[in-house]
Amino acid sequence: MVEITDLTKKELKKLRIDDLTHLFMDTINEQTQKLIDGIEYLTKEDFENFTKNLNHVIETKTELDIKKTFEAKIFKSKLMFSKADRLKVFDKINDIKDIGEFLAHKMLLYKVVFPDEEFKLKLELILKSLRQITMNLVEAVKTIGTDLERAHEICEYIKEERRKMRIEEWDLLERLWNYDMDYLSRTFLYLKELIEGIKMLANHIKKFAEYIQFLATKYFYFK
Amino acid sequence: MAFEYELAAILVVVLIVLAIGLAFSIGANDETCAPLAAAGTLKFKFVLIIGGAAIAFGTIFLSEGVASLVGQKILGSGIRYTVFMLLAVLISAIIWLIIGSFAGIPLSSTHSLIGSIFGVVIVYAIFSGGVNLGMAFNWEKLGGVILSWFLSPLFGLLGTYLLYKIIDKLYLSKKKGLNEIERSEKNFAWALLFAIIFAEIWVGANSAEALGILYALYSNGYLTIVGYYFFVVICALIAFLGLFIAGRYVIRNLASQLTDARPSDGFIIQLASAIILMFCTVVFSVPISHSHVIVFCIIGMNLAKKKEVDYGKLGKMFIFWILTFPVAAILAGLIYFGFISFGMI
Repeated sequence: MVEITDLTKKELKKLRIDDLTHLFMDTINEQTQKLIDGIEYLTKEDFENFTKNLNHVIETKTELDIKKTFEAKIFKSKLMFSKADRLKVFDKINDIKDIGEFLAHKMLLYKVVFPDEEFKLKLELILKSLRQITMNLVEAVKTIGTDLERAHEICEYIKEERRKMRIEEWDLLERLWNYDMDYLSRTFLYLKELIEGIKMLANHIKKFAEYIQFLATKYFYFK
Repeated sequence: MAFEYELAAILVVVLIVLAIGLAFSIGANDETCAPLAAAGTLKFKFVLIIGGAAIAFGTIFLSEGVASLVGQKILGSGIRYTVFMLLAVLISAIIWLIIGSFAGIPLSSTHSLIGSIFGVVIVYAIFSGGVNLGMAFNWEKLGGVILSWFLSPLFGLLGTYLLYKIIDKLYLSKKKGLNEIERSEKNFAWALLFAIIFAEIWVGANSAEALGILYALYSNGYLTIVGYYFFVVICALIAFLGLFIAGRYVIRNLASQLTDARPSDGFIIQLASAIILMFCTVVFSVPISHSHVIVFCIIGMNLAKKKEVDYGKLGKMFIFWILTFPVAAILAGLIYFGFISFGMI
């Protein structure tokens, strides 16, 4: 796998559109994993690592060079009919970064103490699913170029996992609303925002998976 | 006598000008190049030059069979064209095409022309020529032309369907990923270039409207053989200019809607339609409607891909297609009857 840290702008220019997309996906995914790790540290009340990880998500800008190179390349490329779709895939990867950064900023506003262990356990379960669907998404994006049928299958797993995840999220929200807690308290608002932030990210991944399935249907004739 | 001779000479000039105008409209309304422009293989200017040159080539070198059928062989032994008959034919065909344009229906100029010829000849036979209707036409040829109008779209549909199924089975379905599909489509874009050149040549060769009128003038002694070929070359150049100057808007507009279209689809459709045009031109020398063939080729492609076909829209088109022949015939007949009423036979 090509690491962004190893590449200069000149070397980036030599990469193909597909390689740049994969590299961009890896870079964004690395930041998403850091975000998930960060929230896991929060459940362990390890605020130092939590802050470090979330700051990493906010401060890392290495993907910008890839984005600029990709945009310049696709504009001039001789790709005929998949140009717009490839641009959209790239844009959807970029949205993961935007959502992750937004969530990281929000999470850093306050250092929460969880109401009980059960809440933490349920949250970790949701994070585990989130980690799984993000990893699956990376595989799906990398398979678009070589095997659309496989990409379609992976996206089906993502959607299935998202369905399970959603049930857990509602359970957790219900639990939150049932605590004997002031609804305007910072803890309540923070935890509500945390669940909704994770939801937003997971929903985007699900929509992305559906878009990949749309591409598979558009370009590949299933037998 | 001198006045009649002068009038005939003026009308011959008018007919040549109208024929040249028709040649321009053939180029201006030709959208065959649109898939090639959409594929982006070549610069737009080169697409127009290649398309125009192919039409011109077909017009100059391969059109005589169809032109002679429209300009002479379709008539029976008892009939010869007069300048007034040809004028009525052109006026009627143009009026009906203009009506079609306002209605937003792509009408066939070939059907309009043959329909107009039919109307004019029938009126001539009944009202002024005293010709037996059985002798007015070469019914075998006319029947062949009309039959080809029904058969050519059907063969276009069937040909496209089969061609797609074969290419899909042997090649397209084996492409699994977007990169592979994109690569294969790139190859098809080059194949599309040759399919379109091939198609444009036969569009030029089968476009009977302008050359049929010129051949009629030649076969009735209004033009010499040198004059005929001179105007054929002029018509070819004008068709080229029609495509280059006016056709660019039609092509660009259609191409902008086809950016998502696969060059392989375009290749199959154009190849199937070109083969049909070639057969009709070379083997049977009958003028057919390229747009009708293309529409049915697209339907064939949709059926092969199990895509929806808008039968409502198709039905509306079909009614206009069926109406074209009788309406053009009645219109031309009325115009020519008007001429006869003023002694202009």
